[in-house]
Amino acid sequence: MCNVWNITFFPLFFSSLGLISDSFHMFFDCTALLAGLAASVISKWRSNDAFSYGYVRAEVLAGFVNGLFLIFTAFFIFSEGVERALEPPDVHHERLLPVSILGFIVNLIGIFVFQHGGHGHSHGSGHEHSHSLFNGGLSHGHSHGGHGHSHEHKHAHGHSHGHSHGHSHGQDYCHDDHSLEGMAGSSKQILQGVFLHIVADTLGSIGVIISAILMQNYGLMIADPICSMLIALLIGVSIVPLLKESIGILMQRTPPSLENALPQCYQRVQQLQGVYSLHDPHFWTLCTDVYIGTLKLLVAPDADGRWILSQTHNIFTQAGVRQLYIQIDVAAM
Amino acid sequence: PEEAAGPVSGVWWGLCPDNCPLSFCRLTRYIVLLCFTKFLKAVGLFESYDLLKAVHLVQFIFIVQLGSAFFMLLFQKPFSSGKVVTKRQWIKIFKHAVVGCIISLLWFFGLTLCGPLRTLLLFEHSDVVVLSLLSVLFTSSGGGPAKCPLTVFPKVVIIFILAALYSSLIFFFYLAEGHHDSALTHVLYTIIAFLGVADHKGGVLLLVLALCCKVGFHMASRKLSVDVGGAKRLQALSHLVSVLLLCPWVIVLSLTTESKVESWSSLIMPFITVIFFVVILDFYVESICSVKMEASTCARYGSFLIFTSALLFGNFWTHPITDQLRAMNKPPHHESTEHVLSGGVVVSAVFFILSANILSSPSRKGQKGTLIGYSPEGTPLYNFMGDALQQSSQSLPRFIKESLKQILEEYDSRQIFYFLCLNLAFTFVELFYGVWTNSLGLISDGFHMLFDCSALVMGLFAALMTRWKATRIFSYGYGRVEILSGFINGLFLMVIAFFVFIESVARLVDPPDIDTNMLTPVSVGGLIVNLVGICAFSHAHSHGASRGGCHSHDHSHSHHGHSHSHGHSHSHSDHGHNHGHSHGSSGGGMNTNMRGVFLHVLADTLGSVGVIVSTIFIQRFGWLIADPLCSLFIATLIFLSVIPLLKDACQVLLLRIPPEQEKDLHAALEKIQKIEGVISYRDPHFWCHSASVVAGTIHVQVVSDVTEQRIVQQVTAILKDAGVNNLTVQVEKEAYFQHMSGLSTGFQDVLAMTQQLESMKYYKDGTYIM
Repeated sequence: MCNVWNITFFPLFFSSLGLISDSFHMFFDCTALLAGLAASVISKWRSNDAFSYGYVRAEVLAGFVNGLFLIFTAFFIFSEGVERALEPPDVHHERLLPVSILGFIVNLIGIFVFQHGGHGHSHGSGHEHSHSLFNGGLSHGHSHGGHGHSHEHKHAHGHSHGHSHGHSHGQDYCHDDHSLEGMAGSSKQILQGVFLHIVADTLGSIGVIISAILMQNYGLMIADPICSMLIALLIGVSIVPLLKESIGILMQRTPPSLENALPQCYQRVQQLQGVYSLHDPHFWTLCTDVYIGTLKLLVAPDADGRWILSQTHNIFTQAGVRQLYIQIDVAAM
Repeated sequence: PEEAAGPVSGVWWGLCPDNCPLSFCRLTRYIVLLCFTKFLKAVGLFESYDLLKAVHLVQFIFIVQLGSAFFMLLFQKPFSSGKVVTKRQWIKIFKHAVVGCIISLLWFFGLTLCGPLRTLLLFEHSDVVVLSLLSVLFTSSGGGPAKCPLTVFPKVVIIFILAALYSSLIFFFYLAEGHHDSALTHVLYTIIAFLGVADHKGGVLLLVLALCCKVGFHMASRKLSVDVGGAKRLQALSHLVSVLLLCPWVIVLSLTTESKVESWSSLIMPFITVIFFVVILDFYVESICSVKMEASTCARYGSFLIFTSALLFGNFWTHPITDQLRAMNKPPHHESTEHVLSGGVVVSAVFFILSANILSSPSRKGQKGTLIGYSPEGTPLYNFMGDALQQSSQSLPRFIKESLKQILEEYDSRQIFYFLCLNLAFTFVELFYGVWTNSLGLISDGFHMLFDCSALVMGLFAALMTRWKATRIFSYGYGRVEILSGFINGLFLMVIAFFVFIESVARLVDPPDIDTNMLTPVSVGGLIVNLVGICAFSHAHSHGASRGGCHSHDHSHSHHGHSHSHGHSHSHSDHGHNHGHSHGSSGGGMNTNMRGVFLHVLADTLGSVGVIVSTIFIQRFGWLIADPLCSLFIATLIFLSVIPLLKDACQVLLLRIPPEQEKDLHAALEKIQKIEGVISYRDPHFWCHSASVVAGTIHVQVVSDVTEQRIVQQVTAILKDAGVNNLTVQVEKEAYFQHMSGLSTGFQDVLAMTQQLESMKYYKDGTYIM
């Protein structure tokens, strides 16, 4: 939990350095922060009558909102960059270099922390994950350790570019949340995404340093808008997969990590004795690694319903589906 | 047309690279050769651009044709070898030469207008690419998936995005570049200037025209070349004839106008390089390569290299001959005639390379796509896959027609579409007028309107997408899109309102002077457009309500088509339980998407009303503070009206029990409890997937001697009455709990259940004894 506070106040601390000139960026930072905090609190609320699954989806929603805002920010930065590329304004670049170097160092530290702390964290989460698999299959109100702030890194990310894109902070913390997701799903893809993320951030701060040097030494004013455009592109590119993921979850998409496993499961179910067919299978993600599925089986009149039920549950639990609802329809004679 | 159809289908189907077991070594040799030639061709074109500054266009073409005819005759010896050419064939060759001359005239004239870089980018598409582009755009796929590749649809989308981006960027950079070549004078140029098209664009049009002509010409000359005895022989003869054709013109020209060139001798070398690089070498190598490799691969590598080298030269070409010429003859060329490399050109070059790659790559993926399609035996589950694929394999007009039809057949989307058209028309009028009168305010307002249109486009797209059928991946269908779109619209409105608020607070402190002259007509126009929109959308609301009446309790019909979306949502809301949320100024009768769009339009209307009101105040009374006050007020209003929308969307996205049906559902659950044989139920989850789909899942525990089927039917019936139309009931008998406890059930739950079972057992024992 201390991570959350770290990520939350680190940027605030930085923004108080007076680097923010624009209320626009301030606003986005604040909303991102607030959304993140609110989501991490809300997602821990117990489920009640109205929200039978609890509020765990809040984190997905917050991630989605943050992603949207970030895309918007990136677009804004990009258009401003284009504007400035056409007529470069005077930039006060005296302090830019030290600040950007500072940002780069923070970024490097971030990578370092991620590489070391991230592993530990992901191990821990993996443990927690298996634990809840045994224990909490039906307790959907349970809180998932770190998911609460899976979106946090987005804001931290955007934040870093929001100011004179000199510093980025704390992405690292969020990356390990990512690796937590990776534990649940296709870890390879996610890890790749994380790597890309880190590279994007570091490239961004390197770009800032280079542009600062160019501006200071050679007076190439165009370096700044080009750099900010590149950064905007980097933000956009790094946000898109996350946005896609959250939209997928919100639209009750079949979880990508199950996509390959499901056809096999269907076949195995159909091979059970007495099962005629399988229809209306719906599998979807509740929050980061909780999958819920419903399906209907058409069985022979003399089939053993209980056995089929437990076998089917078995099959899908192995595939990673947490909650399963199976409706058994008996075929007419 | 049949000739054209052949190679097209060949590109897609016949020319799979795997089919040709050529050794890779040989292929690479040809590719290297091709690349080298293309590189040289780029050099040649850059040189010829320089030459064209000194030499008249017709003279230049004449010399090039003469030289190439000479060399071709030398190499080919068309008269000494092969069949005798008949008179009819001579006539055909004559026609061929005339067309060829016209095309090369167009081409080189385009070169003088556009500069070598743009010419290379535009003109050097190979036939395959152009044909496949044309086939994507204009052929109607009568035969369905058999003829057209399955991946055309995404390609079309990509190309259109690229084209839109490209055109906007060109426009943008065109504004940035300004006019930078106006020195050339020519007859055609005056026509182009007369037409009012800027010179670059005129050249671009010319080149595109020439390109299309060239492709058609190549297609048409294919048959002729077979008749005459080979493309090379035809080419040689045609060059010869065109030399003869151009000869009188050149003579007349050289008699009437004095030549700019003093010494032709210094131009011999450049001319020879141009002749070799641009005409002869390119022709031979391309014919060899298209024989040895497939046309598509050839096109891909060729276009890639020629574009890259064009970009390179565009940056680094120093125009050596121009300097030479300038040194030789005194009349100085204008510096401004150099066609510089601009950002737009670079971007477009990248796009061209990409699209050439996309278009010329044989669609192997698409061929496989039909073979994929998982289908477990005995289940009709994934039949829609085929439909979806068939749907995607359409050419553009057909696609547009289909989607228009889809848009128009549904009330929501029709409304949005009409309003979008109106809005776009207004925007473009505004933009054009702004460009015409060079008023920055109008242009920026136009761009603002365009941005607004994006919200409408999103709404339209969502309204369309909602009706897509469920797929294997999106098993509940795409109904949620409308909620997401409404949510996004609401969010952005919120952001905009916030900004307006902040800015107006800042202005409240220090009200700036505003130029009010320009504002009024524009804002009145905007107001009228938006008012129309509001009328349309609120009409949609009442319409929805009236339709909702006839569907109000009709829950039994299947909800696969989402055609009743808003009607249905209304029918839910008129269940009459005072669900404690009020929907701002928009009615509760619309679906989320429509509400989002409506709110957006409403916000725009309020904005223009605010502008008008504040303008009046400022002009009449000189109250500068009226403007920030108005915007403050409007921002608050927008804010307040968006909140209920956001709240509703959030509730749906958080999987809340639909508030309209909450009571019904609770009553239904009580009823379930009372069904004979039901011990208890657990995990009742009900949530609104979209406006028309309410999904639910429930576990029901029963005593062991009841028929499961009966319970399922009863529970389904009860919940269907409560409005749940996508239900899964899991019936569990007591032995099941032991199974489940080993698998995944939570410890506490198992404990509770076993306790429950214990208590039930006594009762059951009693019944057994009886």
